[in-house]
Amino acid sequence: MRSLIVIAAVAIGIFAGVFLMAAMNSSVVQRLDAAVNEELSHIQVNNKDFRSSADIQNIISDYPRVVAALESTPGVTKVTGRMIIRGIASTATKSSGVEITGVNVEKEKEMFTLSGKLIPGTGSYFETDTKFNTAFIGEKLAKELNIIRYIITPEAITSLREKGIPSNVVSKVETLQGQRYTSDKKFVKAYEKILAPGEIKKYGWKIKEAAWSYREGSKIILSFLDITNNQTGAAFRVSGIFRTNNDMFESLSLFVPIDELRQLTGMKEGTFHRVIARLEDNDITDDATPVIREKLADYEVLNWKEIQPDLAMIADFMGQIYAIFMIIILAALAFGIVNTMLMAVLERTRELGMLMAIGMNRRKIFMMIMLESIFLSIVGGFAGMAVSEIVIAITGKTGINLMKYSEGMEAMGYSAHLFPTIDAQFFVTTTILIVLTGIISAIYPARKALKLNPVEAIRGE
Amino acid sequence: MAVVEINNVFKFYHDTEVEVKAINGVTLSFEKGDFAVIVGPSGSGKTTLLNLVGGLDQPTGGEILIAGHRLSELRPSELIDFRMDHVGFVFQSYNLIPVLTASENIGFIMNLQKWPKEKRIARTDELLSSVGLSERHNSRPSQLSGGQQQRVAVARALATHPEFILADEPTANLDSKSAESLLDIMEKLNHEEGMTFIFSTHDVRVMKRAHRVITLEDGKVVSDEKKE
Repeated sequence: MRSLIVIAAVAIGIFAGVFLMAAMNSSVVQRLDAAVNEELSHIQVNNKDFRSSADIQNIISDYPRVVAALESTPGVTKVTGRMIIRGIASTATKSSGVEITGVNVEKEKEMFTLSGKLIPGTGSYFETDTKFNTAFIGEKLAKELNIIRYIITPEAITSLREKGIPSNVVSKVETLQGQRYTSDKKFVKAYEKILAPGEIKKYGWKIKEAAWSYREGSKIILSFLDITNNQTGAAFRVSGIFRTNNDMFESLSLFVPIDELRQLTGMKEGTFHRVIARLEDNDITDDATPVIREKLADYEVLNWKEIQPDLAMIADFMGQIYAIFMIIILAALAFGIVNTMLMAVLERTRELGMLMAIGMNRRKIFMMIMLESIFLSIVGGFAGMAVSEIVIAITGKTGINLMKYSEGMEAMGYSAHLFPTIDAQFFVTTTILIVLTGIISAIYPARKALKLNPVEAIRGE
Repeated sequence: MAVVEINNVFKFYHDTEVEVKAINGVTLSFEKGDFAVIVGPSGSGKTTLLNLVGGLDQPTGGEILIAGHRLSELRPSELIDFRMDHVGFVFQSYNLIPVLTASENIGFIMNLQKWPKEKRIARTDELLSSVGLSERHNSRPSQLSGGQQQRVAVARALATHPEFILADEPTANLDSKSAESLLDIMEKLNHEEGMTFIFSTHDVRVMKRAHRVITLEDGKVVSDEKKE
């Protein structure tokens, strides 16, 4: 019974540690993937003065040479150029500072996953055939510009009922039907007046989701400087709205087809502000960067780690967090085993005394205690690892929804929907360490058993 | 030749600052087939003497010979093997391994001596039969009465054909019926197989059956009576 409890305790401890590790790891991995696949790419090449001044005239004038240098670097898979200008996006009621990125739509679709982040029902990633200029904008910016509104429509009420929200809550929400709220804040204020705090906590975000409303093809005005530093601008139709886990990126980034931007700014064909490159893998970043930097010494070459050092630090820090977690888990395991086996030695003093008396030698007594400890740690450890593997496999597919904390997490660029994941190598290392811990923590109780005096032990002293 | 020879043996303990003379110059010898009891009041040195004879404890002075071997000349590891080969122990509290069955408890010591499985099984069957527990092969100690557990302990002590059996208060925890039954078995083993038994006891029932009664007082032999 005692052994079963110890095995269960070891298993639960291992599971808790490994699962927490997997959840934390997923958060970082997802953030990293999002940063590289949606926002930064692996390598960025800029005119040396571009980042400090953001002047439209700080261009990359010999694009073919830059592309050739990048494409000839081992590990580089795709390259494209971007125009980047600062400007102001405004609607009839609001305006907001933005970074307007002119992109080669087809190339960007191949290189980034942002097109896949389109919110269904908000349009497309530049696929609508229109004579107007088009822009692909973030949800946060759309909210700031009052493009997204909250309206309780009959459809929203039906959707709330379908989501299983209690009818008394739906009835209260129904009283807001027909009203139009131009901002997130105003809508939240409105339903806070009619719902109890518990109802808001439980159903608030579902109500917001149902009331979310957007008029396709909404118009925004973009103002910026042209190549001659004269104020210019144009009306753009919102082609689509994307949703990521990074509020900052969503509120600042706005994408337009590069040809439209080139025409409006007067920038020459074949000139860009930034050339970006994708690598085969994140892990080759540190190898590829110096090679590219040497080839393009007259440009500023940055990798994603240098652009977002906080992200690189967290990615590197994960290794240390792994180590700290492992030390904590294994220390708990070791103390558990030592405690249990000392208890076992104490409980079996008489039995051990008898074994020594009838002729069991000390080496065998030592091995008996060692093997029992190792058995406990291995069985408990493997059970914990097996449960972790299963739970991580399941939650890795279904995800863990932390929507309640989405505002805080997304403000920092982290997803509130975690898909736990852990390296196979982590499992192997952990298993080896568990066995080693079992062996090491068994030594002390086994030595205690060895020191028993058979005469006293038989008397149970 | 004597199975056990105890020549002028002393055993002193230091209890804080007082020296306790647990055994104080005992000289005795036990022949093959002895059925002897060591009696005496508590603290007279009965158990200490048994521990010295069994090689579980070392004397402060004097010499103990078992089947011609001087215990003092054996290294600790040799002493362990020596005990396994030459001495059988029966303890007051049975001291069976609770997770093992009766057969496994008996077979345990044969296992340590790496007996072949068939031989081990045959010997276990034989011993369980001789202690009247043929039907209890697979019973764990918790499923046996005190008397039955002590009978298993006797069978375990006999397993490897020791020179003699040391039994420290073997009937102390048993009711009359179980004690008589256990003594019947031991007596039978003594008569039929010539097994030497050395008991330490307070139990009159054991004393009555013994062929020899040695009385200890303050670590000294005060009488050594042999019955006809």
